[in-house]
Amino acid sequence: MSVQTLLDVLDRAHTGPVCSVKDWDMKVIPSKVLEKLREHGLTGACTPENPINSDDSLADEFWRAGFELAVDVGMICLDTERVIKFTEEELKGAIRNAPSELVLGEGLDRVLMKARKPEDKIRPLYCAPIGVEASEDLWIPLIQGIAQHRAVDMIQGCSLRTVLGRQLRSGTPYETLAGRVQAEMHREALWRAGRPGMCATSVITSPTVYGQLGGYGVPGGYRTSDLALVLSPAELKTSYVSLHKVVHAINCGGNIFAGSSSVIGGYAGPVEGSTIAMVASALLQIAVHQSGWGSCSVIDMRYNGNCGRDAQWAISVAYQGITRNASLMTQCVLNQVAGPCTDMLLYESAVGMANLSVSGLSFSIGPRSAGGKYADYMSPLECKFCAEVFKSSAGMRREEANELANALLPKYEDKLRNPPKGKNFTECYDLKALRPTKEWLETYLRVKNELIDLGMSLE
Amino acid sequence: MRDPLSNQKVLDNLIQAIISGDEAEAKKITEEALGAGMAPLDLVQKGAVKAMDILGEKWRKFEIFLSHVMLAAEAMKSVMAILLPKIAAEQKRRISLGKVVLGTVSGDIHDIGKNIVATLLSVAGFEVHDIGVDIPSKDFIEKAKELNADIIAMSCLLSTSMYFQKDIIQYLKDAGLREKYYVIVGGGPVTADWASEIGADGWGKYASDAVTVCRELVTGDVRPPLLKPVLVGE
Repeated sequence: MSVQTLLDVLDRAHTGPVCSVKDWDMKVIPSKVLEKLREHGLTGACTPENPINSDDSLADEFWRAGFELAVDVGMICLDTERVIKFTEEELKGAIRNAPSELVLGEGLDRVLMKARKPEDKIRPLYCAPIGVEASEDLWIPLIQGIAQHRAVDMIQGCSLRTVLGRQLRSGTPYETLAGRVQAEMHREALWRAGRPGMCATSVITSPTVYGQLGGYGVPGGYRTSDLALVLSPAELKTSYVSLHKVVHAINCGGNIFAGSSSVIGGYAGPVEGSTIAMVASALLQIAVHQSGWGSCSVIDMRYNGNCGRDAQWAISVAYQGITRNASLMTQCVLNQVAGPCTDMLLYESAVGMANLSVSGLSFSIGPRSAGGKYADYMSPLECKFCAEVFKSSAGMRREEANELANALLPKYEDKLRNPPKGKNFTECYDLKALRPTKEWLETYLRVKNELIDLGMSLE
Repeated sequence: MRDPLSNQKVLDNLIQAIISGDEAEAKKITEEALGAGMAPLDLVQKGAVKAMDILGEKWRKFEIFLSHVMLAAEAMKSVMAILLPKIAAEQKRRISLGKVVLGTVSGDIHDIGKNIVATLLSVAGFEVHDIGVDIPSKDFIEKAKELNADIIAMSCLLSTSMYFQKDIIQYLKDAGLREKYYVIVGGGPVTADWASEIGADGWGKYASDAVTVCRELVTGDVRPPLLKPVLVGE
């Protein structure tokens, strides 16, 4: 990361072409995405009957369309209503200069993240859980329970519901305090799990910039060996909140992890449009936010998740396109909608994690149990399950992953809009022993055996 | 009539212009139709409203996407801005289902859920005043007072911003204004339980449920606050 590059981006956010957010959403993005779909012959390319792509030429075409979109439109800064644009050469340079591997964490808990290709045998890394909200009194045992599973490599943690017993309101001094408090809880949980050096993606309880300022790189806060999290509200958008977080990470000498999501049916239109937007947004996270890797997830607005056929197809094509054409590390979030202690959560996870693995992702953060809608609806067991499937799918052929998806999707796809809520952490875990209840463990073992019967080489 | 087209042809063209989001064309057709003596109420009811019905149906079938509907809703608003001043007050009340002040609460800059709600409510016939994202609590109330709104709608994707929904309802109570407005809430972490707990009048599981919630509130005979909120998709 360089201050010169940072200044260049900030300058462009103040001098780039003017565009209102309204025009960006209603005209610029939809018309340019449509143009790219037509130019590259990608309209109607989605094959929901084969949700995991294995057509290299199709993935490459989406890569070309996404790269062109990134150069043609750039990324809008919501605060200045100006567009941060890069030339083709500048964007290629940013991609070329991004690392292809990185050591994360400290001591015995260090892990090596590497750029991967589709069907790569290199095992990807799993970071758990994604910022589902958790009660303060359950936060440490929950994170401890997750960290003690060796298959989990990194920890993001849950969003705090309260801070020292007070309601946590974003953008207020409570949030600044929460950054520091969460860092302390995080360290305590990792110490209890015997994995004090695990890398964190931080600070998840920082919806605005204050949590990050209060908790990252400050005495008692998250370490600069942890990743500084910079999340944008939508694809191809940045804001002062995101740029403040970038500056703060650079000030502290930390590494940046930036990401966003595209929405199927949203500004980029159909699933193919979202796929192009994912590629463009992932690349611009590197150029604009100096992220160490490309990251853009996808959400299907029909059920607010991404484990259905269209979204899985989008993920597979976008990331196969990126990882086949650039030596980049990549990350994508899986958004499940079913809750803990349900087989649906495990089926969603199996389809999604296998897809991410065979499509060349370097790492993934998740799970988003119960769609992240309910406080404390998260447990360590689904984190372990996701990590196991993700890693054991390394080296699997994409056709095999597609067969697996086609075998599992019928078990849950009709419930995506009305998924089972499942059970919360206290209901599906023995908190003293930090072990799953018999019911949850048996569900886990049953689904795992089903996957083994379907040919997955799970231990 | 100056325009040789039949009234039905004019209406068909207006519907097509709105559906395709061609604001300039929709305005031109409307002005020409008025000049030719067509009744403003016909242009609303047989033109704009019909276009919105068609759009709503296409949206539900996922045949068109957010940006398209937003453009169409803008075209429809421009047409209505021309027509409404020419329509009698009593008829206006029948055309508009009500005024909605909508925004994403403080500390949250997510906009897509709010934009879906704004667009679909406009399409359904509500007069929507979108006040943006990261909106301080008092701004919702000031805007509702200024417009004499019927509904205050609060979107939120962050659990740490949900409390601002509660704050706004509490402020309305403390200021003696709670009886003036229906209050609806929605967004990723916003559940039916939360809506009930904070005393909201309505909640929908998905952004598209907002239309059903708002329709039920304004066409019902219970003034706010409701003892039990309207919950759609629970």
